[in-house]
Amino acid sequence: MLHYRDGDAAAFDVLYARHKGGVYRYLLRLSRDAAVAEELFQDVWTNLIRARAGYTVQARFATYLYRLAHNRWIDHYRRNRPGAVVSLDEEDGGAPVDPPDDREIPQDVALDSRRQAARLMELISELPAAQREAFLLQQEGGMSVEDIANATGVTRETAKSRLRYAMSKLRKGMQEWR
Amino acid sequence: MALDERDTRDPRLEHLYREAAREAPPAHLDAAILAAARREVGARPRALSAALRRWHVPVSIAAVIVVSVSLVILVKEEGGDRLGDARIPPVSAPADKPTAELTQAPPAAAATAEKQVEAPAPVELRGSREDALRSVSKPAGTPPPAQERVAEPLRKPVPASPLRLEERTEAPASPDLVSAGRVGGASPAPLEQGSAVPAADAPQAKLMARAILAKPAATDRPPVWQGLEKEPPEKWLARIEDLMREGRAAEAEEMRVECKRRFPGHPLGQASK
Repeated sequence: MLHYRDGDAAAFDVLYARHKGGVYRYLLRLSRDAAVAEELFQDVWTNLIRARAGYTVQARFATYLYRLAHNRWIDHYRRNRPGAVVSLDEEDGGAPVDPPDDREIPQDVALDSRRQAARLMELISELPAAQREAFLLQQEGGMSVEDIANATGVTRETAKSRLRYAMSKLRKGMQEWR
Repeated sequence: MALDERDTRDPRLEHLYREAAREAPPAHLDAAILAAARREVGARPRALSAALRRWHVPVSIAAVIVVSVSLVILVKEEGGDRLGDARIPPVSAPADKPTAELTQAPPAAAATAEKQVEAPAPVELRGSREDALRSVSKPAGTPPPAQERVAEPLRKPVPASPLRLEERTEAPASPDLVSAGRVGGASPAPLEQGSAVPAADAPQAKLMARAILAKPAATDRPPVWQGLEKEPPEKWLARIEDLMREGRAAEAEEMRVECKRRFPGHPLGQASK
């Protein structure tokens, strides 16, 4: 990013290639809408480009980038669901995710990884937004708990708690596939 | 720390997630973002612009000098042109000759024309204008038939255009002559002038022809409506329409104003456009 700030356009290509997938999937899983994700994704990168001149190294670039993405997502979230702001911040929002009862799993048949993945995606989408975000930042941004706290503007304990809840629910949801 | 790791990480889930999460932004977004990034870098002030700023004033001064010198040269040429025009005495066409005879140049007029062809710079300048006019308005090698040449001045009695050497040999035709169809028959050349801007020409050719004609026509020429003073308004309107068809909008407008002044109650019809 420093190279790009100093006028090296090729440096941006490298940055973009490295992070575009993660940021896109982060926004896609948060918004659960491809069109919204694309819009937010473009805004995030546009904001990054505009902020080029004033960029200074204060944290990992990924943390900086995902903070931009987080802020853009929060703007969108508040604009579209003004009453739901609290649920984004709550530690354990929503009911615990239980596997649907009507889902029949053949016990003696090994399920392929595609079906497992589909189930995992389903569980992720059912997580409360704050927990989902913590999980996505960890997986897509490769962030530690500290980085997640930094990117989302919460304390380390809060970030850790969200991540722990998320993992717990996912484990529980995927238990029967183990 | 190990407890943290155990609570917040699950290698199996993570592996599964990485296998499943393969979505990528669409290509058009990639292109748009990369283009925006390059634009942003390209829009930055460059060192080159400083050099341009250094040369800004000298280049501007040089441009002003070039334009000024060009204008002076042009004005001088135009002035010489007018002087050359002033030296050419107008020669009246005989008024009482039959129409058939008017198609041939009388010896006196021809001699005058020859003399003026030998005149120096102004004549050459006019010749070049004429060539330009012909080149843009008419294909080479297609002179109008003799019948048309005789008939042309009836429609376009535009005498005394300083563009044409031959026109200088003729006096502005009297109204009687115009109405009798015996105008300017001293030589075929002025009749060519009438056909030099055909109505079917391209608009660009018309514009160029108008530009070439504009300045000389504005200086000391008789009014466009000369010869129609005693004619009814219908003839005026027909003449205006002819002028418009030929692309001589300024003259058409001039004549329209005069027509309106002379025949205030008469509807202008097509000529009003």
